[in-house]
Amino acid sequence: MTGLRLWAPWLLLLAFLSQSGTALAHKASDSFIYLDSDAGELRIDVALRDLALLVPLDQNQDRQITGREVRNQRPIITRTVENGLELSAESGVCRLQGLEWGLSRHSDGRYAAARYRIVCPDGDDPGQLQYSLLFDQDSLHRGLVRITSDSGSTLAVLSPDRNTLPLTSGSSRPLETFAAFLVEGVVHLLIGLDHILFLLVLVLPVSLMAPETGSDTIRSSIVRLAGIVTAFTVAHSITLALAALNLVTLPIAWVETVIALSIAVAAVNVIWPVLGRKTWKLAFAFGLIHGFGFASVLGDLTSGVSDMAVALAGFNLGVELGQLGLLVLGFPVLCLFSRWRLYQRAIVPAILLAVVGTSLVWAAERAAFI
Amino acid sequence: MTCSVNTKGSRTLLDLCPATFLPALRGRAFWIGLGLAGLLLSPDPLQAAPSPIQSDFADDAVVATLPDTPPIPEQLPTTSTDLADRVQNLISQARSTGDPRYLGYAERLFQRWPESSLNDRLLVLRATLSQSLHRFEQAREDLTVVLERSRNRQHRIQARLTLANLETVRGRYAEAQHHCYQLALDYPGLIAESCSAQVAARTGDPEAAYRALETRLANSDAKRPTARLWAEGTLGDIAAQLGREAAARHWRDVLSASPSDLYIRAQLADWHLQRGHYREVVALTESYEQVDSLAVIRAIAMHRSQHPEQDALTQQLRERFSEARWRGALLHQRDYARFLLDVEGRPEQALEHAWDNWQSQREPLDTRLLLRSAQAAGNRDTLAFLRQWLEQYGQTDARYPEVAS
Repeated sequence: MTGLRLWAPWLLLLAFLSQSGTALAHKASDSFIYLDSDAGELRIDVALRDLALLVPLDQNQDRQITGREVRNQRPIITRTVENGLELSAESGVCRLQGLEWGLSRHSDGRYAAARYRIVCPDGDDPGQLQYSLLFDQDSLHRGLVRITSDSGSTLAVLSPDRNTLPLTSGSSRPLETFAAFLVEGVVHLLIGLDHILFLLVLVLPVSLMAPETGSDTIRSSIVRLAGIVTAFTVAHSITLALAALNLVTLPIAWVETVIALSIAVAAVNVIWPVLGRKTWKLAFAFGLIHGFGFASVLGDLTSGVSDMAVALAGFNLGVELGQLGLLVLGFPVLCLFSRWRLYQRAIVPAILLAVVGTSLVWAAERAAFI
Repeated sequence: MTCSVNTKGSRTLLDLCPATFLPALRGRAFWIGLGLAGLLLSPDPLQAAPSPIQSDFADDAVVATLPDTPPIPEQLPTTSTDLADRVQNLISQARSTGDPRYLGYAERLFQRWPESSLNDRLLVLRATLSQSLHRFEQAREDLTVVLERSRNRQHRIQARLTLANLETVRGRYAEAQHHCYQLALDYPGLIAESCSAQVAARTGDPEAAYRALETRLANSDAKRPTARLWAEGTLGDIAAQLGREAAARHWRDVLSASPSDLYIRAQLADWHLQRGHYREVVALTESYEQVDSLAVIRAIAMHRSQHPEQDALTQQLRERFSEARWRGALLHQRDYARFLLDVEGRPEQALEHAWDNWQSQREPLDTRLLLRSAQAAGNRDTLAFLRQWLEQYGQTDARYPEVAS
């Protein structure tokens, strides 16, 4: 029995460990490296907690690090951090010239932060970044890099296995990004039933006008249609851009609820034009909110994508193409149907009723998340 | 009377105004859209500028608090026993703080130690480490080696128990059952009984499993708190599965003996959350904001009870998860999915992460999260798939949303 008692604590540990084995999650050890390639500057933030592994920060051993202790150790801190970081160009290793030094804040507390001007031999641009700070202590430590330039920003992660990052700007990438997001835009419009329904209720009244107004109906229908589609497009492009570039962010549950409501309102408006007969105004107003809906999809696709502007342009164009394709195929069919009385008298109201019903159900479901 | 179109704080936009006033909106439709656009500006921390560098911090201000443990020594331990002790200590700290840094320190020690001189104890420890990092295949491999080659009963039991738990968490109940059975042969007692009860409960027989283990615990004269706590924790799990109030009592007992057990703390907090006991949730998670699972449960409770601190915590979590996404860590899937579902109200995205999480762990809380996300996102395929999976094992759980329909 004594044998068993001896290993009891060991069992205690592992027993609970295995029970909780996968429940762990906590902010891991990360350094933040911001590289501004236009200004030729670099900033690095290292958690004080991590720095304490490398530098004797806690001189009085009270587990508390004060501002004074940090200040006293500044020379060792800078030397240590600079040793863990190397920028080089073809002509040789670049020098880091200190611009600013102090403390900064991230989600888990204070970091030691420093900003440098990058000075490479012969005035070259740096070609690669190598990072090795803390890798010898903590295999899970990472250097999180954000490279900013006038064409957007790129995110990267440096790890013990991959501690070097080439900085030469990629050439063929933007085209790939553009094409990929173009497809995403088309796909999203086609599978996003709410945008299609909204378009349908905007377009229905135009298609109904055809038999009523006589001779140059086709021409005027197309003009009206073009007006509506343009208004919708311009509006959602504005808000899509605002949201995608993070200038404006709305809570998604709100957006989706209002999108659902907008469909219902637009459908009611066909029969009872409470918001006026100028459908293009309605298309514009609600197009603004639909733009935020597109943006939430785009946002999910672009985490880690560098060329936000290119992605945005591709996605937006994709949405427009999807929309245009749908109209080119669908609108003539609707016009054709509109010559049929039963369609006007019964089917259109039935469609509208179904659309109102569906969208109100959506609105209720989505409002539950507000 | 004028109808004010209040865009802030209202549930919907138009239900505030009676229908007859709607024509008055005619010219305003544009402004409604624009007004909404101005609502709630909040930048994404990933794209946002980093916080400014502050140079004039006060000398006397405490700018960081280090953990109570001594810093890791520079040199590698010289003997296997020293290394094992150190690694075990680090894993234990990771467990009680939820901080993955300790796992990184431990892994670094393993990397510097020659692979050929890993003894059985070190292999079990490395497997435990791998399991914590969701490297299940590697964990299984190391444990299998120990089971095959070790003559030391203690190490075999350790390996068997870890493997049984790994398979249970992964939802591979036949394998888990096999290991529990083998464990009972090697080391009969409360721990082996708990092992089998857990698997039996997940595979269609929670009622009998609970009763048997409860009787067994009551009649046990086991003096080792380890085994009793282990059984108590398991009883809590099964009681929760049965929807019994006793779950909270079992978990509280474990927690009072071992307050740093984050797994049990999260289970208990979740239990209270489900019952709308928000004050208990906030109390249980107090000063555990650094642990994602507890912080997310806390944020949900605050969100639902309109707690004054809810915005601060939500904002902090948003920043933390966006850093985690930048890092690309997969350890956060479960908590992130839950945050997306219950705080951000983004069921589609929640479903994506809940699904990824379920590929690695299939504990009842993971399954429930996936069911709820699929339901909220209206994804019938996933629901149908899960129903079939649950049916295959006869798994029922009072905490699952209605899966019958």
